[in-house]
This record gives sequence, C-alpha cells and structure tokens, in this order.
Amino acid sequence: MALGDDAYEEDPALPCGRTLSEVWEKAEETPDDPHAAGCPHCQEALTRLGVLDDYVREARDSTADEAAEAADAAATERLTARVMDLVRTELRPGRTLPLGEPADDVWITEAAAAKAFRAAAETLPAVYAGSCRVALTAPEGPMTVSMEVEAGLRWELPELAEQVRRRVRAAADEAVGVTVSAVDVRIVDLIDESGEEPA
Amino acid sequence: MPEPGDGLLAARAAEGDEGAFEVLVRRHGPSLLRLATRILNSRTDAEDAVQDAFVNAWRRIPEFRGDASFSTWMYRIVTNRCLNVLRARRPTQDLGSVPEPPAPEHASSPVRAAESRASVRALGDAMQGLTPEQRACWVLRELQGLPYDEIADIVGSTHQAVRGRVFRARRHLTEAMSSWR
Repeated sequence: MALGDDAYEEDPALPCGRTLSEVWEKAEETPDDPHAAGCPHCQEALTRLGVLDDYVREARDSTADEAAEAADAAATERLTARVMDLVRTELRPGRTLPLGEPADDVWITEAAAAKAFRAAAETLPAVYAGSCRVALTAPEGPMTVSMEVEAGLRWELPELAEQVRRRVRAAADEAVGVTVSAVDVRIVDLIDESGEEPA
Repeated sequence: MPEPGDGLLAARAAEGDEGAFEVLVRRHGPSLLRLATRILNSRTDAEDAVQDAFVNAWRRIPEFRGDASFSTWMYRIVTNRCLNVLRARRPTQDLGSVPEPPAPEHASSPVRAAESRASVRALGDAMQGLTPEQRACWVLRELQGLPYDEIADIVGSTHQAVRGRVFRARRHLTEAMSSWR
C-alpha cells in the first residue's frame, strides 16, 4: 500500500520485502494468504498486532455488558433532556397561515398546522406522516397540503391515499379551521410490518 | 409495527417538529455517546460534545437532504466536535512532560469500578499519543467497525488518507501496548 511520499520512513519494510502496512492489511483482506502463513517476519508483525487486538476487544466488550448498558441508558436520558431543553428555547419562526375570515386577523404557523395534519393521518393504523407542507393558493386561502407518508404493507395504495386525504380534510375543517382545496399525498416508503425497520 | 425511519423523522424535524427530533436523539444518542467517549476518553466531555452536536444538528437540519444517512451525518458532526475538543486540549501539553490524561470515568456500578480494567485504561493512555485525526480514524475503524470509505466521508478526507492514519495509529499503539505488557 502506498501511504504517500512522507510515509516511507513510517512504514518499514520487513526482511521478507513486505512493508508493515502491507502485512497488516493483507491479514484483514486475505486471512489465508500463503506467504504470511509461512513467513516468520510477517508472523511476528501479526503477533504484535494481535496483542493490540486483544486490548481492543476488551475495550469493546467493556461497553457491552449490562452495567455499561444501564449507564448508557442513563446518559442518553440526561442527554435527551439537555438537548431538548435547548432545542425548545430556540425560536424557529416559520411561515404563518391565516385562519378564518380575512378580517379576523388570526394566524397559525405552518408548523402547528402540519402537526395537526400529521396527527390526523397517523390516526390510521400503520401510517407514519413525514414532511407536511401547507401552502396558500391565494393570499387569503384556500390552502393545499402536501404530505409524505410511510405505511405498512397491509395498505392498498389508492385506498391509503384516499384515507389520508379524508383525515387531513376533516382535521382542516374541524381542528384547525382552514379551508383546504387539495391534499397531495406521496407514499415514500412501505414498511414490512414483520419487524424489519425501514432504512 | 416498526418505528418510523430516520429519513421521515429528519424531514419532520426540518419542518420544526421537536418531537420527531427527540425520537432521533434517543435513537442515536447511545452510539454517539460511545463514539465520543472513545475518542475523548472522558464521559463528561463526551456528553458535552454530543449535546453540542445535537443542538448544532437541530439548527442545521433544514439543510439535511438525506443524501447521507442521518446516522452518518450525525457521526460527522460528533466527530468534528470531538476533533475540536482534542485540538483545544493539545496546546496545554508540553512536549517534555505529557500530563496525566483525564481519568476515564468508568460506568457507575461499584463492582465494575472495582474491577478497574487496567488494560482498557492502558489503551486509553496509549491513545493520548495519537494526533486527533489518527485517534478519530482509529476509533471509527477499530472500535466502531466502520469501513474506510464511510470513515473518509465522516472525517472529510480520502480513503487513502484514512488508511494511512489508521496504520500510523496501529503502529503507535502496538508499540505502546507491547511495552505496557
């Protein structure tokens, strides 16, 4: 292996002609290399790497037992609480959408409307809502909703799209109070419900 | 029913859904904490680094396009954060006398602490002799088990440069550990 010009000194050749990096890498890539098996120089270099590998294995295992897992779980709880405290203090002003009549001067953020629409879609079994954009078709509405969903394989696609549309429209009428002229549903993934997680 | 995928949650987070981001933090927190603890050799520093990385990720997630996986994207942010921490530590080291490394804090169980895994600590000490870049590449390769190409992507370098760093790290560590024994 060429490590670059500056590496010549750092990658010494063994008496058999192979460089140290070659010996170590060949051992990873072709474990039953006949030269290495019969070469005392290569064997010595591999033994040294083997000593390190033992320590590495121990270091890896030390994070894999029950006590370590309990400590990881506690650390993750702490981390999540701290991160979310900070995240919630960050304002991310999004677009606002008008509610009710123009004279009412009542607004809802796109994020809040999207949250209500996603929740409505997710009342369906085995359906997860992803991106949800709400756009005004005219300054005072109506609006169009574009939503991406993942769903379990149990669903027939046209039926799924129709059901999502119906739930979103109902939420728009009843929960949010906006007029939605179109609901565009994109099915981005189908999930094998036998247990495989989507990528 | 399995959980929703990372891509879907990231898209929601990008649109301001804090709940979706929280699921991602919980899902990826454990492996990122392990990665940072290994690179930094300190649980406390690791928790701070991963916290900063997630807050940074929340600010930048609208730019996340899903061309890398969310996990690779987070590995990149955490590794960069750790590299900055390591680089900031280095000027305090004077070449003549390498200071005591920060004591690795072992898991809280007293039994485990009493076991005092001396060899694991020795490895941690030996790692102090690596450059930040060698250390990050070596941890990603040997402790996290990632392929060279993915490491190159994470550290923003080439496959060849990563191989070189991992080799130099191995060389340093085999020497340090054989003298320890």
